[in-house]
Amino acid sequence: MTNASEVLSSIQSAFPGAVLDSRVESDRRLWATIDSKKILDVCKHLTNKLNFDHYSGSAGVDWIARNEMEVVEIMASHGAHKVVAMLKVKTPRENPSVKSLTGLYWNANWYEREIWEMFGINFEGHPELYPLLLSDQLIGSWPWRKDFKGYPDLTTGERAVAITTPEGYTEYRFPPTPAEVEAGTVVAERPKYPTFREREEREIKSDSEMIMHLGPQHAMVPGPFLLDVLVEGERVKKGFLDVGYIHKGIEKIMENRTWLQGIVYTDRMCYVASLSNNECYCGAVEKILGLEVPERAQYIRVILEELSRIQSHLIGTGEFLTLVAGVGYAPWQYMIIDRERIISLIESVTGARLTHTFVRFGGVRNDLPDDFAEKCKTTLPYIKSRVNEFIELFAQDAIYQKRMENVGVLSAEDAKRVGIAGPALRASGVAYDMRVEDPILVYPDLDFKVIVGTKGDCADRVDCRLREILESIHIIEQCLDRIPAGPIKPEAKIPKKVPAGEAYYRVEDPRGEMGMYVISDGGDKPYRVKVRGPFYATLQTLPPLLEGVYIADVVAIAGSMDGCPSEADR
Amino acid sequence: MDIIDSISQFAIQEPALFALIIGIIGAAVISGVVNVGAMLVIWGERKVLSDFCNRFGPNRVGGRWGILQLGADAIKLFTKEDIIPGDADKGVYVWAPIVASMATMLVAAAIPFGALHIGGKDYPLVVANMDISAFYVEAALSLMAIAVFMAGYSSNNKYSILGAFRGIARMIAYEVPMGVCVIAVAVMAHSLNLVEIVQSQTLWYAFAQPLGFAIFVIALITDLGRIPFDQSEAEEEIISGYNTEYSGIRWGLLYFQEYNNALLGSILLSLLFLGGWQGPIIPIPVLDIISPLIWLFMKVVIVLWCLIWVRASLFRLRIDQVTDLGWKWMLPLSLLNLGWAVVVGSYFA
Amino acid sequence: MGISDVIPVPVAIDDEIEKWTIFGQPVAEVWFTTTEKIHQIIEMGPIKNIFNWGRKNSVYFLMQPMGCCGVEMFVFGAAPYDSDRFGCIPRNTPRQTDVMIMSGYITRKYLPVFKNLWEEMPEPKWCIAIGECAISGGPFYDSYNIIQNTADYFPIDVFIPGCPPRPEQFLEGLINLQEKIKQRKDKRDY
Repeated sequence: MTNASEVLSSIQSAFPGAVLDSRVESDRRLWATIDSKKILDVCKHLTNKLNFDHYSGSAGVDWIARNEMEVVEIMASHGAHKVVAMLKVKTPRENPSVKSLTGLYWNANWYEREIWEMFGINFEGHPELYPLLLSDQLIGSWPWRKDFKGYPDLTTGERAVAITTPEGYTEYRFPPTPAEVEAGTVVAERPKYPTFREREEREIKSDSEMIMHLGPQHAMVPGPFLLDVLVEGERVKKGFLDVGYIHKGIEKIMENRTWLQGIVYTDRMCYVASLSNNECYCGAVEKILGLEVPERAQYIRVILEELSRIQSHLIGTGEFLTLVAGVGYAPWQYMIIDRERIISLIESVTGARLTHTFVRFGGVRNDLPDDFAEKCKTTLPYIKSRVNEFIELFAQDAIYQKRMENVGVLSAEDAKRVGIAGPALRASGVAYDMRVEDPILVYPDLDFKVIVGTKGDCADRVDCRLREILESIHIIEQCLDRIPAGPIKPEAKIPKKVPAGEAYYRVEDPRGEMGMYVISDGGDKPYRVKVRGPFYATLQTLPPLLEGVYIADVVAIAGSMDGCPSEADR
Repeated sequence: MDIIDSISQFAIQEPALFALIIGIIGAAVISGVVNVGAMLVIWGERKVLSDFCNRFGPNRVGGRWGILQLGADAIKLFTKEDIIPGDADKGVYVWAPIVASMATMLVAAAIPFGALHIGGKDYPLVVANMDISAFYVEAALSLMAIAVFMAGYSSNNKYSILGAFRGIARMIAYEVPMGVCVIAVAVMAHSLNLVEIVQSQTLWYAFAQPLGFAIFVIALITDLGRIPFDQSEAEEEIISGYNTEYSGIRWGLLYFQEYNNALLGSILLSLLFLGGWQGPIIPIPVLDIISPLIWLFMKVVIVLWCLIWVRASLFRLRIDQVTDLGWKWMLPLSLLNLGWAVVVGSYFA
Repeated sequence: MGISDVIPVPVAIDDEIEKWTIFGQPVAEVWFTTTEKIHQIIEMGPIKNIFNWGRKNSVYFLMQPMGCCGVEMFVFGAAPYDSDRFGCIPRNTPRQTDVMIMSGYITRKYLPVFKNLWEEMPEPKWCIAIGECAISGGPFYDSYNIIQNTADYFPIDVFIPGCPPRPEQFLEGLINLQEKIKQRKDKRDY
């Protein structure tokens, strides 16, 4: 088994002088600063020689005091070993520019585009460096830099103005941003997201083709994102994605809140998996603080996260069913009804239906109520029998099988290459689960299987999700048997200021691998919080899956991914 | 008796005028009956579907059963703003809902709504008792597809045009097997007249030709555009299909005609395959007169309930699977069924 | 002799109509005075109450999940809370809806789309702002990408506070909206 120090020595021997600075945090975490000229070679070496085949994302950091910027590449492996390498590349703050990894990793595209539009770091060799999350007007104000003045100006307020375009459409434009005012005029040469007309002109080759919007408001989308499909008759030829319709700038907001207040924002990142998000943020902060979580609190966290996974999978599958069967289809309503039972279980502990703010640094907010185990013992077997019924129902439904089998097939190699996450990845046959790869809390002590599919089609993805519910129920039952008495919070008072340091923490969100990269500069607020969301990774893989399918399959594929655009946009 | 005498005298003196007046009265009655029936079908669908989904359905207006819900919907739709999209083909856009209602009324004109049992004889209740009514009804039922195409094509909307094309592709694929099934029934009944078809059913044709019955049911669901064959307005794929741009009462009319068609289609199914109004006469005065009506009504309700049941439990097919099923399975099987009908029919004759 | 000689084709219909008369008065004038009269009758009489009753009991909402409240909206329309009891069902096309549920944060990128959707809805229409984000920006009040003053862009009828509000609050808001529709007196939409 490879461990972090071996990886470091391998890089150092292959490229002498490439590693400027390094820190081996544990067997599983390697922090290294790499010479920006050699980052491509190092990544190639990692991928080819050391099985780092999972490009997990990248984060930008603005070190304004040191007058430099940093891009952190997060590299991991799909099961070959358990090391996560955090490779930092430094670049000066004036005209920042680093080499793009899009040539090596297909999914680096979105991560780099995001860093470009938020920090203004240029990526040499990036094929399509235009806005992803922000609207065109905000490009150039680089909102995630530390010297960003804030926009809108809350004292004056801002109003969008209706403008009639020459084509006769009404558009709403905002007044120029501070950056534009400073520059004197609107900068024309800045890259812009292609408009619909431009895309039509560029892509449509014959009269029988058209580009169709599926979104931002559409029955298919679980939250606003735009999927344009180029169709010829009923066949989809190409898909284009535009996200950012609910980009809230959570990462920037969290820099302006205290450590504790940040938990509230993790709730609202993905509202059907808020407990996992809480866990991810608190876990990262605990790592920096060096806090030990009492055992009872660990069990409570596991129980609630698994409950949250069950309800998320139920509503995800329910939404998927409405897409392929219409709203009149009865079983999706049954799923929502069953989900309400889980919700009421969670509510009896946390007091909220969706946004809990329940996990706290070093523990949980409150203990389980006295009758919780009893309630679980009545509810969980019921849910189990229902889910078994659903699995059986779909396995026997001829129309369902005809619709879903061999639709949106993603082979194991492709799934690894595009960096898809969660049940969608496991349905392709890749057993990659954070609960096993990067075990946290009491997961190592628990007995559970990682559910994998065989083919990686839509039916498999849904089936995996349903069978995961059964595994979650199994985990909760074990936890309820084993949960010890004891404190739920650390005895020592948690300091308001977190010592300087950084941590990368991964949890298994219902949608897959969620990671948070938290940096503290010793103050009472985080210096930077980077969220590596699972649906962000999954959403990116949607367009290539759509080539050559029917329009009806588009909604099936998108639905089987179990989307949460709010978490993708953050 | 004076009134009846004078009426019959008038009928003899002015046969053309008399036929016109009777026709107008019949049309008014029929359109009233059909439209009220369709309203009840919509209400019934909402309630029954709610039952399938473990919820209540409308229950705030018109008592605990929410009977007035449709009234509220209709009033709201009548008083909504009337929007015609700027780029729409205005004439066709405006006429599409009207064509749709014309199509259903054409069906209603020739379909028997039951019979009255007076003096040991059944008097069928039908406005136009034509000799080829089975074929005519089946043909007129598919006129709805024209209205769907008009609505989708004129809206100048991408979802609508896709819905329109899907509707046409589906209609062409399923109209042929449906027609062949009607012919098979006619072969056994030795008539294309719906009244005579019903009267000839000593054994229900659903049992005499089960294959034909199955094909006809599938083709009928397709014709009605209901799940699993509702591709022309697949809400989750193409927003609302052909009627995406329609609002207010125009949409209300289109929506209404779908249920009109569902009602008429299930009446047609009961007439052709389920013995129509035939059934034992209830030996109670007054009730014995309308007992054929009661039988037909019960059959129609069961058919409609089954349609809703199908909607609550099946997935939607993809459009290529729909046409595949139509051309590769339904058509050959319906021809097989025709052969069966010829053999069995001539044997019994 | 062509067809146009037999049937004169009106080149500009609007101009022709202006010349038409009925009872010695221009048609257009008669038309407008009559419709105005009808409107007055509706406004004064009990018909208005019937209209309001119909509108109140048939509120279709636009299915458009945006934030946390979107998930609750999904549940609100589904079996556990069953908005259909109040005659309130989701539709996917704005043309066939009466109420827009603003179920979350409106970003600068989404505002134009949202405004378009609102304008595509036929009158009379209503707007419900659900959750703190839709009302005032909520926890994202100082975000660079969130619209705080939604009430400036949309005539919001009902505010439902909460983060996110429970589905019961959705029902409460819907009932409040129904009350509002029932008492509606302005003549704009008749």
